[in-house]
Parts: sequence; C-alpha cells; structure tokens
Amino acid sequence: MRVLVPIAMIAGLALAAPAGAVTYPPPGDPGNVQTKPGGKHHTYTVCAKKGKKAKGCLKTIQKAIDKAKAGDTVKVPDGTYKEGVKILGAKKRYLSLIGNTKNPSKVVLEGKSLKGAAKANGVLINGANEVTVRGIQTQHYDGNGFFVTNAKGYHLNDLVAKYVGVYGLYAFNSIGGEMRRDVGAWNNDSGFYIGQTPKQTKPIRSIVSDVVSYGNVLGFSGTNMRYVTITKSKWFNNGLGIVPNALDSEKFPPPEDNVITDNDIFWNNFDYYKGAPFKLRPPATGDVPYPVGVGVLIFGGRRNVIQNNRIFGNWSLGAGMLEQFLLKDAVNDGTLIGNQITNNQFGLNGTDLNGRDVFYDGNGSDNCVAGNTGVQVTLPTDQSTFVGTCPFTGANAYSEDTRNVAVGWATAPDQETAWIKHDHAPQGAITPLVLYSKDAYGV
Amino acid sequence: MNRRNFLHSAGAGALVCALGGGGPQTRSEVARADAAARSVRRPRALGTDAVDALTFDTPRPQPGGQAREYWVQAESFIWDPVPTGHDEWMKMSVPRKRKFRALGYRLYSTGFATPIGPAQMGGPTLTGEVGDTIVVHMRNGDEHFGQAVTLHPHGVRYTPDYDGTYLGDFTRAGGFLAPGEEFTYTFECVPDSVGVWPYHDHGPNHSVNITRGLFGSLIVREKGAAAPDVEEVLVLHQLPPQVTGVRRVFQCINGRAFAGNTPTIRATVGQDVAIHVIGGDSMFHTFHVHGHRWTEGDRDVDCPTVGPNEVVTARWREDNAGRWLYHCHVFTHQDAGMAGWFLVNP
Repeated sequence: MRVLVPIAMIAGLALAAPAGAVTYPPPGDPGNVQTKPGGKHHTYTVCAKKGKKAKGCLKTIQKAIDKAKAGDTVKVPDGTYKEGVKILGAKKRYLSLIGNTKNPSKVVLEGKSLKGAAKANGVLINGANEVTVRGIQTQHYDGNGFFVTNAKGYHLNDLVAKYVGVYGLYAFNSIGGEMRRDVGAWNNDSGFYIGQTPKQTKPIRSIVSDVVSYGNVLGFSGTNMRYVTITKSKWFNNGLGIVPNALDSEKFPPPEDNVITDNDIFWNNFDYYKGAPFKLRPPATGDVPYPVGVGVLIFGGRRNVIQNNRIFGNWSLGAGMLEQFLLKDAVNDGTLIGNQITNNQFGLNGTDLNGRDVFYDGNGSDNCVAGNTGVQVTLPTDQSTFVGTCPFTGANAYSEDTRNVAVGWATAPDQETAWIKHDHAPQGAITPLVLYSKDAYGV
Repeated sequence: MNRRNFLHSAGAGALVCALGGGGPQTRSEVARADAAARSVRRPRALGTDAVDALTFDTPRPQPGGQAREYWVQAESFIWDPVPTGHDEWMKMSVPRKRKFRALGYRLYSTGFATPIGPAQMGGPTLTGEVGDTIVVHMRNGDEHFGQAVTLHPHGVRYTPDYDGTYLGDFTRAGGFLAPGEEFTYTFECVPDSVGVWPYHDHGPNHSVNITRGLFGSLIVREKGAAAPDVEEVLVLHQLPPQVTGVRRVFQCINGRAFAGNTPTIRATVGQDVAIHVIGGDSMFHTFHVHGHRWTEGDRDVDCPTVGPNEVVTARWREDNAGRWLYHCHVFTHQDAGMAGWFLVNP
C-alpha cells in the first residue's frame, strides 16, 4: 500500500491514506478448513467471441464459474471479455480458471466500459481456497486486476495485470499462495501486493517467483505481509521497487519473516508525479509519498531478509531499512528487529550505480548489513549503523541524523532533488523510464 | 482397522524382518500402511495430563552463539540406487529394474526460493556449534504419498514442541506436517550435544518413510572448533522390496549401493580424517576400512558394530596411501551393495 507521509506530521504521528475508493469484502478467517473435493470433476468452456463455438459452451466466464462446482475447471478461449469475474465461497474451492497460459495477453478481461461493482476487480476470489487462475490479462479496472482475499492457498500464475486503479495482483488476508511468471505493469499503486497476512503458528510461505513488474507506482507493496519469498523476478522502472511496510490501518503489523532473494531490482526512478498513464489519486493536502528512486526499502518489520539480489541504477537508494515511526504504536509495530541486508550486489560491477547503495537508520535490534559487494555510497557515510556481520544479535546504534536525511528525501517538493544520477548500462530491450509520455510509451 | 491396530497385527505375525522390525512385511502391507497413514486426521491435541498443557518458549542462541537457519523440504522423487548400473568392485552389472519413488529431505535457499542440489536420499547435514540454535524451516512438499511427515533430531536439546514426533492425541504442532504444511523447528546445541547425530521422520508412518529416504545427519562442534580436513557421514541402510517395489534388496550407503555408486571418499596423507557412520535401519551393521585402525574408547578397532540409529566415528591422521575398500562386514549386506572406495593420495 502506498504510504503517505504528511510533512506537517513528520515529527509527530500520521496515518496512511486508504489505497483507493474501492469497496473490499470484510476480512474473514482464511484458515477455515475446506476439504479437497473428491469425485469426478468437470470442465466447462466459455464460448469463443469469434469463430466456432464449442458445444455446450457458456456465454460468459461468470456463467461458467457459477455452474462449476468445487474442483472443476473453466476454460476461456482467446478473446476479450467485458466482465468482472467473482469466485466466491467454499463451494468454489479448488476451482481452476484457465485462459491462454502460453500467451495470457490473448485472453483479456477488459474493465473499461464496465460500471459499478463489475468494474472493481478483474477476478475476485473471496473465501475460496486453493483456486488456480492462469493465462489471463486484466486491464482498466478501478480496483485490482486479480484479487484474492480470505483464502488459504491460491495460485495466480501466468497472468498479466495492467492499467488498474490500485493493485495488479493482490492477495489480502490470505495464507500460503503463489504468484509465478506474472506481469504487473502501469498500475496506480503496485504491480504486486501481498498484505495483512494472518499470523500463523505453523506458517505457510507464499512464493512470488519469475514475475516482472514495471511502470507502477510501487513494484511490490507488502503492508503487514508475512512468510513471503520474492525471488527470481525483475523490478524496474517503478517509482519504488519493493516496499515491505508496517501500517496500522490494516491488521497484523508489521511485515515479518519475508525473504527477498535473487531478484534484479533496477532503475526504479519513475517520477510518476510528472506524468503517468494513470490518473494520480490526489494525496491529502501537504502529503508526499515514499521517495521515488528507491530499489527496496523495509519500512518497519521483523526478520525480513534482503539477500543475493542485484540492485542497481536506483537514483535515490538501492536498499534500505527505516523504522516505521509514524504508527500509533511505533515501538511495538514499527521497530526494526532482526532484518538483514546481506550478500547483495550493488551497482552492476560499477557500470550502473545507485544514488546511494545502502541506508539504515540504526533503529531497533538484531539488524545487520553485511557481505554486500559494489557498495560505494551509504547513509550513514561511515556505516556506523551497519554492524557488519550477519546474522547479528544485540542492540543497534540509532542515528537520528541519518534518519532525518532520508525523511528529507520524502519531503522534498521535487522527488528528483535527492537523486544522484548516473548513466545506466544497457538491459536488452528494456529502456529506462523516468518521465512518462504517451508518445514514447504508447499507452 | 486404524493404523495403530494395523501395524500391531502386521508386526505380530512377522517372522521375516525385511524392514528390520515389526513393520509391514509385504508390498500390500506397505500399501495398507500408506493408506492408513493418509487417513490419519490432524490430532486434536487432547491433553489428559498436566504435562500436555505445558507451554515452552522458543530457545534463542546463547550469547555469542547464532541461529543457523536451514530451509528443508520433504519431497518425493524417482531414485536409482545404482546409477552406473555397475558394481566397480566385483565388475558386475546390476539388473536394470532398480528405480522407485523415494522420499527425501531437500535443502533449499533462504525462503524456499531455490532448491540447492538435486533431490536425493539422505538429507542435508545440519551443523552448529555449542551455544547456537539450529533452526529448520521444514515444508512437507510431497503430494504423491499424501502423508504427514516430520523432522525429529537426535543429540540436540528441544522442547516437546520441537520433538517432531507424532504422538496420537498428544501430538504437538511439529509432530504432524500434512502435505503443503510448514513448521519451523528450533534445536539447541548444548554442551553435551557435541558429536554427530541422525535426524529422521517421526510422523504417523515413519518406519516406512524413513526407509524411503527421510533421514539425515546433524553435526555439533565445540565453539570455534575446526572441522576435520576430511569429513563424511555414511548412513547404512537397506532398501527392501516391499517398500521399493523392486524385486531385490539393496544394501545402501546414503541411498546408493555398490562401489562406484556409494560415496567415494578421498584423502591425502597427513590429513585429519573423520568418517561418521550411522545405522539407518533396524539392522546391526559393522564398519570396516581396509588399511586403517582407529581408537574407540580405550582400544583400537577396525570393524566396530553400528546399531540402529547409533553413530560410530572413525577418525585418524591419514598415513596409508592407496585404493582401499570400506564396507559393512555383514557379508549379506556387503554383497548386496554396502561397500565403497576410500582413495588416499600420498
């Protein structure tokens, strides 16, 4: 979730603004056991928009979903479908919704001409465990592309979510899922988001792997997310790359036990304030967002690990840790405990430098920064907060001056004033995005 | 018949101890044990004694110690105990029908991001020093057998939560990991943990699933102690037909049978060599290394006995170059594959 930091309240307390004017289902208990359906399962096919229609096909995706029972499969042929699909309740558990897994952009869920609730989400899964959705592109919905809530187990694979009002792929108040080989682009809050993960005595990890996220305000937002591994993915050309954060506007702060490993996190310098293919939601007067130009930032959290990533060309900061000092109960919910930034490679062997490589305000205990390569510029410059060995047990050395510098980035009237710009090294067909224009990007 | 009754009846009539004990003796009995294990529902934690209501803190490392984290997934895979198809020692080929579906503990990188190395019989060796905790994030990633599994360690200290043992109605969280479930075990390396120890499944069907490959080892050292120059853990165990579905019995070392397939250990004269041998089934084995002797207690040995889940360490300063055999000296085991090479450079 995008965090808004009111200038006037930097020295005091503030709350984040809600993500968007979308009505969400209330959180339930995602841990309810839904037994795996036995017996023979059926496959239903949605009628093709063009050409020959399959025998017994159903006119809309929703009609097929409505007909399907737990464990059944709904297949969607190539085409554009103007509907908001809902998969609701335990009777739809273990359901599979399958489009074109090799080319998801051929099966498009289009929200542009829809109205009301249908325009909120491309695919909404609420209270149905172990649902699989594959091979579909959602676009132009007011809320989210793919939204899972109150579920135990979800499988969002081979999907594309573009130009939606809030989050591309979103799992909220859910336990144990996967997002693999997906794309989230040009979304008004974040490309990917796992949030408000319930605390579990026997935690089940969620895996985000081999995804691509670009052109979003945030590549990945993780408000109060838990037990998530983000790996083998590319996070580039967003306002910020990956931002696990603590907020008390949602349950279960802070983010805990997340692992961010073996990712490419680069060029997150998209200054969307100066133009974007989506309409910016106006922040409250005096508010400013996270500073643009950041690769990965832990904003309050416990036992989060940023490890073995390649982080380069982010002009404000490569990787950082900051106490979430704006919470009502900042001591309990916002203090950094046991987080690590370790064994990352910064600056692409000196060819594509970050403005600053590592920042840590020294808040909390058991946190460490160690074993990273290519580090040239840090905050604090003397690395006095970093400890230098990981893992580490003990109190950290807080530096208020260091924090104030970072807060200054966020509160600067122009996001780019805090940047230290460098040339980028080529990345194949990907070109750097700083200022958006419709002519240049065609969207 | 529930699983407990089934296993009792299967054990009562058993004369052939192919699993080495009272476990299922035939292919159909293994199938029935699997079916019974699949039907075991999550225990409801019905405490009948005050001890069942006790709660325990998760231990933290001692001052100066560290938490050594491992990410381990139980998963099934197709396994060939003789991948070369050949016994290098006796120059004999081994018939082709050898593959079966095994279960193993597989090491992953942090957060289960990427598997480290192939799936194999015999799990990763977990290491720690006195004052450390060994933290194992374990996931039951197997859906083929559809059974709850666990990880139960020897040697280290743990509270009942981290015993990793199915106890029927008295089972705690770490004693039942259904397919898809995860649990984080925390073990303490206390001063009397120094040594080498086995770990293994202790779920509802553990005697069968250990035989399928759910075993591994732990090494705890004194704080700051260096590892030997050469260190190898060898688990001696058999793969019986009723579990593998293969007609012949393989007598294995770390899931492999016959020299050239079993671990080939290499050392150089002058090195500190330690070979830790664990009895991985219900048989008694012996461990013999040609050309070498070592001290056990107050005597020199070259063929000590290794009982079920017992650990014997053979340690010496290397002084004898050449190609040597090591093997179990129970001939029926040796001849069915429990042998390997020890190569010493001058």
